[in-house]
Amino acid sequence: MSSSLDKLLENPRVWRGRNQAQRKAGLSSGYPELDRHLPGGGWPPEALTEILTEQYGIGELRLLMPALARLSVEDPHADCSEPGWIAWVAPPFQPYPPALQQCGIDLSRMLIVRPKGPSEILWSAEQALSSGTCSAVLFWAETLDDQASRRLQLAAEKGHSWAIAFRPMLARQQPSAAALRLELHSSAQGTRVHILKSRGGRPTVLHNLNLCQHPA
Amino acid sequence: MSRASVPKRPVKARDAAPTLPAVQQVLPFVEPAPLVKPLSLAPTSVQRLWFCVWLPGLPLEATRSSDDAMAIVEEQQGIHRVLLADRQAQAAGVMAGQSANAALALLPTLQLEERSPLREQQALEALANWLERFSSFICIADHDVLLLEIAGSLRLFGGLRPLREKLSQGLRQHGFDASLAIAPTPLGATWLARAGRRACIRDEQNLKRELRHLLLAHLNWPEGLCASLTGMGVTTVGDCLRLPREGFVRRFGVEHMLELDRALGHLPDPRNSWRAPERFCADHEMTEEQSDRELLLNICRELLLLHEQFLLVRQLGTQRLCFSFFHLKGSATELRLGCARADRCAERWLELLRIRFEQLALPEPVIAIRLQSGMTQALQAESARLNFHAATGGPMRRYSIAQLAERLSAHIGDQSVHSLNLVAEHRPQFAWRTQSLLSDWASSTLSEVRRHLRRPLWMLPEPVLLPVNNGYPLHQGMRLRLLDGPERLETGWWDEDGISRDYYTAVNPAGMRLWVFRNRSQSSSWYLHGYFG
Repeated sequence: MSSSLDKLLENPRVWRGRNQAQRKAGLSSGYPELDRHLPGGGWPPEALTEILTEQYGIGELRLLMPALARLSVEDPHADCSEPGWIAWVAPPFQPYPPALQQCGIDLSRMLIVRPKGPSEILWSAEQALSSGTCSAVLFWAETLDDQASRRLQLAAEKGHSWAIAFRPMLARQQPSAAALRLELHSSAQGTRVHILKSRGGRPTVLHNLNLCQHPA
Repeated sequence: MSRASVPKRPVKARDAAPTLPAVQQVLPFVEPAPLVKPLSLAPTSVQRLWFCVWLPGLPLEATRSSDDAMAIVEEQQGIHRVLLADRQAQAAGVMAGQSANAALALLPTLQLEERSPLREQQALEALANWLERFSSFICIADHDVLLLEIAGSLRLFGGLRPLREKLSQGLRQHGFDASLAIAPTPLGATWLARAGRRACIRDEQNLKRELRHLLLAHLNWPEGLCASLTGMGVTTVGDCLRLPREGFVRRFGVEHMLELDRALGHLPDPRNSWRAPERFCADHEMTEEQSDRELLLNICRELLLLHEQFLLVRQLGTQRLCFSFFHLKGSATELRLGCARADRCAERWLELLRIRFEQLALPEPVIAIRLQSGMTQALQAESARLNFHAATGGPMRRYSIAQLAERLSAHIGDQSVHSLNLVAEHRPQFAWRTQSLLSDWASSTLSEVRRHLRRPLWMLPEPVLLPVNNGYPLHQGMRLRLLDGPERLETGWWDEDGISRDYYTAVNPAGMRLWVFRNRSQSSSWYLHGYFG
């Protein structure tokens, strides 16, 4: 009985959903409520995460801060001697160092890159991702087609780096190779996180996520 | 040890009390119990061995750029005469001394080049540069003679024969047809090389025997002198030595007698060691203008390899390089490269060059390329990490952060890639600064931000004036609610950028958190300074 079941499971056409993606533990987001809905219990490591917002400044950074703070001081791969860098490619405003430090981020591990054109943004992000030096690469791209997102996804796998793309809400209809796509809405009650796509998970909506107001 | 021996001496002296005077006599020999043995100033019996490289075909070899038959011409009494012809031209009958027209009549496709002493000098220096790998003492003895002191290199290269083979093989690869000779004196080696004897003499007795048979024509002595000596029946060095010294000196001057003495090793013959310039500068000239980028890159690569070799010999590295692309018309196009850590590795520089070269606009085809290195500095050797990750399947760091920053800034500009640091300053806009990754980033964070202060993650480059409705600031047409504040910042009165502001955390109805302030001088105006992101 069990042998026939095993045989069936060996068939490559049988898709086993959840179990697949849970091979790698996620990177805890610092928000238990969110972690519960993410496969692997956190942000997908070595993959592309897309965050869609109507405008920048509504809390997208606070959502990431706990995870970034941990990345900047400790290495996810315990066998490396020092933590990786966090690259910011084409941020829309100035990431403010005193606030970053309050959030527990090691400023000496920040790399700010300000390319001029859309193609240079993607080039820089890809370079940073595949270099193997950056543990996380945040980039703000207006245009990111399916092919480009696939490239970045591959670069993230190659460089063992976490790629985070911030994109306008318009991009929602476009296909993307990202392992995780989130939509962020802010309201007076709190922040609503809508998981559009999650590799190995299922789409959900988290209402009223309380983002940390104070530095941890 | 010798310190310990000092107190022993008086003990001995007391033991030998009856013969005190004798001890005192001996003292001068015992007394100097120096910690370090003094350098012996006595003449050393270290034998020097000179390797001479004579390049008879240098004018041709320094100019050669293609495989066509070629001859070098030089103006002699108003007529261009062939000085040197290559093998192909010689086969067609072109000989030294012919007029240029005669040579062209014999071989119409012959390429004639004017002799260029400058180019020869450059070629000789380039060769001297390369020869530095064989000896620390190189001497450019004449316009076509290089001397190497090799007694100190024999052990490293495993003896005379391997050294000689390596050297002659290298010379052939560089396209030089050289005549080599080894002798204990520099002049002796030079004469033997000029005579075309592949001599390898290690002691002075053999040198004397070998030099005796040399014809005077090989000594590079003035022609008049040679003629009068030949008239006397003196044709070899041996004949010269048989002449009475006084008579020789009286008739031909002391200079040539001394030269003979130096060649035989009777007189010392000190030479100046050639020192290459500390900065690298090399040109590559092309026979015709080129605009093929791949070809230009290849030339740059060759220049970079030369540069690497140059720095390797000196154990130096550099942080800056400058390529100049010369055009026939107009000024040269310059391309400057910088990297974070002093480096000499040609491949790494080439990688940076590739990125920049793609963007470089060349207004015209290029006729020559020059590579100049910037300030050189001692290269810190770095021990590479053992690569455990490859075995465990963990991540591999392909680049260091410096290399990543170099690549990025080569592509998008130096100003666009930086790190961050804090500054101890109350004014929010001055509380941080950018930090270049291309220089040393060892400096630590300057100040600690006090934790209770509320600071936004996003800072606007300039504060934005907010419209006001009934005294309340508006953001995107919605009234802001003040949550927290005020935090009064009133500082900087000592310079132009003094501020006097009350900062508040505000929230708009959509739930966005903003950092706003009100100027205390014009109390009605509200500004947005950042988002809590």
